[in-house]
Amino acid sequence: MSSTGPAARNRTAAPAGNGSDGGHSSIVLGPRDRLVGQLYVEGDLRVAGTVEGGLEVTGSVEIDDGGRVTGPVTARDRLVVGRSGSLMGDVHVARLVVQDGATFSGKVSMGKQVEAPPKAVEQVHEAEPAIKPIEAVKAPEAAKPAAAIKPPPASRPGQTTRPPETKGRRR
Amino acid sequence: MDVQEAVAETTPVASAEDNGDAKRDGQRKFTMGPNDSLEGKLVYDGSVHVDGRAEGEFKVTGNLDVAQGATARISIEAANVTVKGQVEGSVTARDKLTLGKNARLSGDIVVRRLQIDDGASLNGHVRMGDIEQHGSGG
Repeated sequence: MSSTGPAARNRTAAPAGNGSDGGHSSIVLGPRDRLVGQLYVEGDLRVAGTVEGGLEVTGSVEIDDGGRVTGPVTARDRLVVGRSGSLMGDVHVARLVVQDGATFSGKVSMGKQVEAPPKAVEQVHEAEPAIKPIEAVKAPEAAKPAAAIKPPPASRPGQTTRPPETKGRRR
Repeated sequence: MDVQEAVAETTPVASAEDNGDAKRDGQRKFTMGPNDSLEGKLVYDGSVHVDGRAEGEFKVTGNLDVAQGATARISIEAANVTVKGQVEGSVTARDKLTLGKNARLSGDIVVRRLQIDDGASLNGHVRMGDIEQHGSGG
């Protein structure tokens, strides 16, 4: 496996000539693309289409050219919401650029915490797991956010995206 | 709510020398210098330039800008707000909020338009949309 070298990390990205630089994915969601769910990218992401769900990116995220994102965004480097971009969701980033004309609502957290990006799976806090039986702890936690999430105003109420905690736990 | 409550509790700032309370193009302007400080509530019909140190509540009919190097623990309501220094407190911009590249803002913001330059730091909740306006200044 080691013989494949850095190219192995590129395998998930579409090598569509969109400027992926050595070992980093560079994913572009075009104006007619749509993603519903959770996306984790080791590299950069550019959204000109529609995303309903969470984005977690080790590089930069750019939302522009009519791109619309509804959901939380974590970027270890930079998040740019361009003048024709729209973002509804909480963001956790190291650097943030919002251009005049952009639409943005949500909670912004900027700071060192981004250095250690939480893998979506590990967001359940692991403090003193020995006290209660794990199943008893997990079940209400998984159920709570799903029930508590109010449907985003513009999207269909019937289809809520699954919170990141439940990803990977249920299989 | 349109009581004039301009209180400068500490140093009497914004010296009315050259530009302290100058009219520029018919617009009144309240200008603080880097060594000035203000604590209290300011309701001002015009624009305000904050430098030095400010603490309290600023309600301004015109624009408000916080200079680079200034530290402000204030809640702000103004038409256009430009932050280049450090602000702790809520911001309501009836039109636009601009965070310059050295700006540090922690607090919730309500704006119609928002521009954040690369390098700025923001911690708080952002709400965008039309702002309910109850006539300040009168």
